[in-house]
Parts: sequence; structure tokens; C-alpha cells
Amino acid sequence: MVTSLLSTDDLRQACDLIDASGLSFEPPFDDLVGIFQAGRLQAVGARDGRVLKMLAVAPEAQGGSLLDDIVTVLVGRGYQEGLDSFFIFTSPSQVASFQALNFHLLAASSKSALLEYGDGLGRYLNRHRQLVTPGPNGAIVANCNPFTRGHRYLVEEAAAQVERLYLFVVREERSLFSFDYRHRMVREGTADLPNVTLLDTSSYAVSSVTFPTYFLKTGDPGGALQMELDLLLFAKHIAPFFHITRRFVGSEPLSATTASYNAAMHRILPEHGIEVTELERMDAGNAPISATRVRALLAEGDSRQLASLVPETTLSFLLSREGRRVWDPKGEAA
Amino acid sequence: MKIARKVQAGTMQSSDLMVFLEPAETLTVTIDSTVLKQFGELIRAKVDEVLRRHHVESGEVRITDRGALDYAIEARLETALFRAAEE
Repeated sequence: MVTSLLSTDDLRQACDLIDASGLSFEPPFDDLVGIFQAGRLQAVGARDGRVLKMLAVAPEAQGGSLLDDIVTVLVGRGYQEGLDSFFIFTSPSQVASFQALNFHLLAASSKSALLEYGDGLGRYLNRHRQLVTPGPNGAIVANCNPFTRGHRYLVEEAAAQVERLYLFVVREERSLFSFDYRHRMVREGTADLPNVTLLDTSSYAVSSVTFPTYFLKTGDPGGALQMELDLLLFAKHIAPFFHITRRFVGSEPLSATTASYNAAMHRILPEHGIEVTELERMDAGNAPISATRVRALLAEGDSRQLASLVPETTLSFLLSREGRRVWDPKGEAA
Repeated sequence: MKIARKVQAGTMQSSDLMVFLEPAETLTVTIDSTVLKQFGELIRAKVDEVLRRHHVESGEVRITDRGALDYAIEARLETALFRAAEE
């Protein structure tokens, strides 16, 4: 029977089993479950949001249905919490055993693979079917936290070079500005460009699933593997669906994580028939415009320089009552 | 019978299936199976028959199957329907 692992002894046994399987015990998780036989933990697994992880079965218990039982419980409970699809990262050698559980392969490199249960990707694409045009189309994936003059320049330049430009706004809620606010700033800031279509990335590009280190901004070596899967997923599933043959990106002089994502883009996407165009960042006052720089000004409560960094649409949002509440919660600048 | 709430029944074991039901305005049925190529149509026919028998006219029905036999499909789906209909 599958049980939640809660006590200190449970956790110790879980750590041991996970270590022995060549994985590492990696919090955080929303759910951690296991199966005991004669007091010994024989199988373990965890769920962190939509991601299943730390799945391990003791060598003497392999070949049975313990893994199936663990996944059943993790998925069943996750479903009750409102999730309808689940991901797993695993080594390429384990892909077949998860496919037997109705997981579908989203992307695989020589070192790791990403699979999904519940066909969320298929449903995500289907929801946007009426937005697909024959192309050739272009794409930008951006967080726009907030939407700057640099974003505006990139979008404008890209839109002029393709039939239709799909602008994917990162769905993940890990930024100062909520998705709704970011989406709104982008919508208002690109409303005059008729061939730009806004989309959200859902879990399928630059998300905590496909690219968690984007939000951490650290030099995590595991990040490189995941970034590769993020781009493979884009190249194999998203780009063909939207007839995307070009991806546009701003040069990245500031963040090491984003710079290595750009480098990976140049390495991976052309192999799949997607041309990558990197545009030089726009400067303001001898330094590149970036959303980070805007947020730094906001943190200092300095709204005078904003106009040189963000378009008017963003500026009026930032200075609105609603916008102020995001970056100036105490209302001191008001 | 009405799908009034979100429920799940079944397991991911071999020869079993997982059934996910949730309320929706129209009826949609999606079936994923490791034996979809060989038996997809038969599974679909069975699911449709059970839904018809219980007068299910709306809801989202999702099934992932690992080669379950007819009566397992029927039992899992009915269990899920009964759970979904409970107030």
C-alpha cells in the first residue's frame, strides 16, 4: 500500500533508497510517498507541482508494479489538486518504461529526456489552433517583467521580417509582475503591430518545468541539460505547429543564464530548420536596456528615468494605481 | 447521470486504466492507451456504451489505458461516474 512519508525514519529510508538509485534527494516537493514491505521502504516517489521526481524502486522489488502504484497515487492526488498533466525527467534508458505508463516523450537529448502524462501539450496546442497561419512565421519567447523599450524594439524588428510573429509571454508566476500584468503591458505595447499574436507559454517553454534555472539565475550545471530540452521541445512540437521557422532573441550582455540559453539556441534550433536571429540590445544612457534595470529603478523608487527605458504604455501602467501597488506596496511614492 | 465533480478512478498498473472525470459544458472523451493502435476503436466503443447507458451528456472524460479488458473498463468508468455524481 502506498503511504505518505512523514516521519524522520520514513525520510531517512527515502533518502537512502533515492541515493542508492543514483538520484539525489532534492526538496522541495508537494507530496512524498512510498511503499513499505516488512518495515522496509521498497519504493518511493515525489511530486513537485507538475513534476514527478525521485522515483526509485529497491533492486529486489523491481519488475513488479510498485512504480505503477507510486505513480498512480502521485497523479491521482495531483489531479485532485487541480493538475491535469504531469512531467518526468529521466535518463534516455528509462523512457520506454514510462511510455508503458502512458507518458509521452516531449524531448530527449543524449543525456536526459522529458516525458508528459495527460497530453497537456496536445490540449495546449489545440486551444490555439485557430491562431495558426500558414507562415513562414517567427517567434519570440519573453518574460517582459516589465515590458521595456528593448522588448518593443525586438518585437518591431522581428514582426517586420515575418508573416506573423508569435510572441510567447512566459506563463510562470515567479516574477515581480504577475502574468496578467505582463500580458497586459505586452498587449498594450504591441497593439499597433497587426501581425503580432500574443500567446502564453504554459508549461512548455521557459517554465519551471522546462527551464527552472531561468528563475533562479544561478550557474546550476543541471540547467544546461534542461535548457537543451526546453529548446528541443520548442523545435519539435511548438514551432512545427505554428509554422515557425525563425526565432528572435535579444543579445544578452548581462545575465549568464540567459546568455547560455541564447548560445544553446544557436546550437540546437538551426539543426531543426529554425533560423535564430539575435538582435543587439538597445541602449539607453550608455547601458543596455533590460527589465532588470527597470526593476532596480523601481526598487529605488526612482520613476524619473523610467521613460527612457519603457514605452509609454508600460510607463502609464507602472504609474497607475494598480501598477504602483506591485512595485511600491507601501505607497510611499504615491 | 451527471458529472458533478472532479474525480479519478483506477490505477496505472498493467491491464488497468485510469479514468479522470470533470464537469464541462459539452461531452469530450479522450483516450490514451498503450494498445491504441490495435484496440483504440473497441475501447472507445465500450466507453461510449457505458456513458450512453448512464445518460452522461456532458463532462470531460479522460482515460489512460494499459491494455485493460472490457469489464475492467466498464467497472472503472462506472466507479468514476458514481463518485462524480455523488453530492
